Amino acid sequence: MSKPSIAVHKFSSCDGCQLALINLGEPLLVLNQLVDIKHFAEAGPLDEDCQVDIAIVEGSISTEHDIQRIKKIRENSSYLMTIGACATSGGIQALRNMANTNQWISDIYANPSVIDSLDNSSAIKDYVKVDLELWGCPINKQQMLSAIRALLFGVMPEQDAEKVCMECKRQQTVCVMVTKNEPCMGPVTRTGCGALCPHAGRDCYGCYGPAENANTHALANRFHGFGLVNEEVARRFLFINSAAEAFHQEGALWKNEFWTAK
Amino acid sequence: MSTDTIKINVPVLARVEGEGALELCIEKQQITDLKLRIFEPPRYFEKFLEGRNYYDVPDTVARICGICPVAYQMSAVHAMESIFDISITPWIRDMRRLMYCGEWLQSHSLHIHLLAAPDFLGFSSGIEMAETYGDEVRRGLKLQTLGNDLIAFFGARSVHPVGVRVGGFSKAPDKKQAADLLTRVVEAKQDAIDLIHWLDTLTLPEDNQDFISVALHHDHEYAFNEGRLISDHGLDIEISEFDQHFKEHHVDHSTALYCLLEGKPYLVGPLARINLNQNQLPDAVKTLMENLKTTFPSKNMFHSMIARAIEMYFAILEAEKLLSHYSVPKNAYIEFVPRAGTGFGCTEAPRGFLWHRYDMDDAGCVTKAVIVPPTSQNQSRIEEDLKNSLINFGLHQQKDALQLHAEKVIRNYDPCISCATHFLDLTLIRDGQIRDGMQDEHIQHNLPPADFSSVNLQQTAIIGIGSPHPGDDLGWLAIDSLKQNKHIQKRIKQGLSLHKLDRPGPSLINHLQHYKHVLIIDAIKPGTTDNEHLWLNANQLKSLNSTASSHLLGLAESLQLMHSLQLAHADIDVLGLSTHQPEQLCNLLASCFGY
Repeated sequence: MSKPSIAVHKFSSCDGCQLALINLGEPLLVLNQLVDIKHFAEAGPLDEDCQVDIAIVEGSISTEHDIQRIKKIRENSSYLMTIGACATSGGIQALRNMANTNQWISDIYANPSVIDSLDNSSAIKDYVKVDLELWGCPINKQQMLSAIRALLFGVMPEQDAEKVCMECKRQQTVCVMVTKNEPCMGPVTRTGCGALCPHAGRDCYGCYGPAENANTHALANRFHGFGLVNEEVARRFLFINSAAEAFHQEGALWKNEFWTAK
Repeated sequence: MSTDTIKINVPVLARVEGEGALELCIEKQQITDLKLRIFEPPRYFEKFLEGRNYYDVPDTVARICGICPVAYQMSAVHAMESIFDISITPWIRDMRRLMYCGEWLQSHSLHIHLLAAPDFLGFSSGIEMAETYGDEVRRGLKLQTLGNDLIAFFGARSVHPVGVRVGGFSKAPDKKQAADLLTRVVEAKQDAIDLIHWLDTLTLPEDNQDFISVALHHDHEYAFNEGRLISDHGLDIEISEFDQHFKEHHVDHSTALYCLLEGKPYLVGPLARINLNQNQLPDAVKTLMENLKTTFPSKNMFHSMIARAIEMYFAILEAEKLLSHYSVPKNAYIEFVPRAGTGFGCTEAPRGFLWHRYDMDDAGCVTKAVIVPPTSQNQSRIEEDLKNSLINFGLHQQKDALQLHAEKVIRNYDPCISCATHFLDLTLIRDGQIRDGMQDEHIQHNLPPADFSSVNLQQTAIIGIGSPHPGDDLGWLAIDSLKQNKHIQKRIKQGLSLHKLDRPGPSLINHLQHYKHVLIIDAIKPGTTDNEHLWLNANQLKSLNSTASSHLLGLAESLQLMHSLQLAHADIDVLGLSTHQPEQLCNLLASCFGY
């Protein structure tokens, strides 16, 4: 039986999630024995149009050309897995979705007509079916390895969508919101990072995206109670995962001056 | 083979960070086209920053690059601290250097083992190389992991670390963690020494070229977190003076902006740093370097891989020094009150210096951000190097060999294309560029010499100059637009001629000889504000130093030639146009011509 094959494809991103593979250290060499890495431009192998068992996709869709590429990748793969905030929710560059991109382009580039840029930066799932999503900005090695391992065993990896708060409690990390009035996003953010920010004594900023059943509105009101003005409340939600639905809706509400409108 | 046309098109460059491509055309043993295309989609970070609080900035800029997030965070916090007048403690300064050592170590090791070395040992990837050079690759991955763990010591994770804030760190790690890391750092010294000796035995191409090295310089240490910017050609400036000497501009084939020093390409990164600052390396490093086959300063870019390994050894020694007297301070950060102002930050990212400028308001929100990453600085140098290097290599070589050689050259720079692609608000700089090229009094706005009432229309022409490149066809579009205009249509009936010329060069003279009055319309090069136009007469045009119009170099020279040879006697006016919205061209022309 031939080895299962994987391909790593990159769209608009910082390359940081691919590092979850590249930074594996020695396990990377082991992984290479378990699977056939057919396409992984940053690491070397090149075969963009290869047929694979698992396509791992980093980055968001932000140009016309990207749309054609992702459709082809979907056709060529049995499983398609998105890694990181960009591929899964549109990422930090989705902040442009709320702005006039054409104005930005003409502010910066001398010949805007040569710049291929869609108005929106979008998640992969907006264009093709996605089988598995790994949230995080960036994802970590454990997420990557356990997902590939599970798929190699022929099962879907277990996905944990509970809140960062739960992880803090288990670690017995002192709550930065209760003790320091920090506007922590932990109560609405998906776990998986290991509650790094509260553990480091600061507020979570939502880089793992919305948790299941996130009560964003209660949290936003709490931030407002801390003294954050509407725009500041909006910015808490409109950051790394601004296009993820739960964060987008809450952020848009405050950006549009919900309180004065009421 | 010798007279063949060789076209090399590498649609995706392997083993570089981000998306880049190379287009190369060799005709009759001459390079006729060479472009390093960067098509990583634009990511607009400088725009995302506008309106954001200082508090969000380190977490935002980290996302520009997953490989050098520490560099982005450090340049940013330094800039903001200078605005808020924060003096950091020696402990904070030391610990930032420690974190930065981690980034150099991991990024350099990643580049050497997974990206560059396979080129020189005949493998297509580091993973493939590991089958033959298992111990070497394992040693490299171990050093890379140590670098990542040094970043995570303060940052909790190595990609997009979370511990850095304006004024210091969120929290100081405990002494036990520091002691564990120190043990590993001490053990890694021998690995770094072995790595350098191993790379020194490799046969690297001999390819000496003349180039300018630029790096930070500090009087008392091997610079990376602060200093002055110096070059080996006499530059010695404060970081705040950067934009008086360096200029970024946009070229069509790249979403990254090109940066030039006094109009010239230059090198940043490990080789530039070693070339300029090697005397400040610790004695242990200098002694080791004396026993190497490779000597520095070096003008051979292929030595940059060894420069990287030397910097890894330096980073390990520096980390050892900083960790060996680690203590937990009372406060890991300084309290402050934000205030308005402008500040600059410049630190040495693994692949070269990274310059930031922020304008902030009273509330501590960003009103404007400018970020100049190392790869956009190296981009021109890479293209220049490719030209020279391929000629040295021999243009008669087989296509595959040429392509591999070109890729090796590019990889020497460790280009980080995700970083290079960013968004810069060029308006001010563009104005500066235009004004660099001509005396202010030569700029006469809205004085149209386009009133055709007093001329013989039979001997009058409007010539639009352009090329088929997208965005470079304004002159042609202008002619098309004028042909639709009823005022011009009337003039055409009376004898006025309209022409479109494709980069005519000296053959422009042939066209001019037929007329007494000529109006030339051309695009103004990157630089002006939107919907601008400039009226120039032929004399003013000659006084330009050619940076203004996309075809002006040829145009000014042609006119000079024509004048010297007394070939034609036409009155020549030039209308330079700049617009980002071709659909508005009609209105722009109407205002130029006073219709």
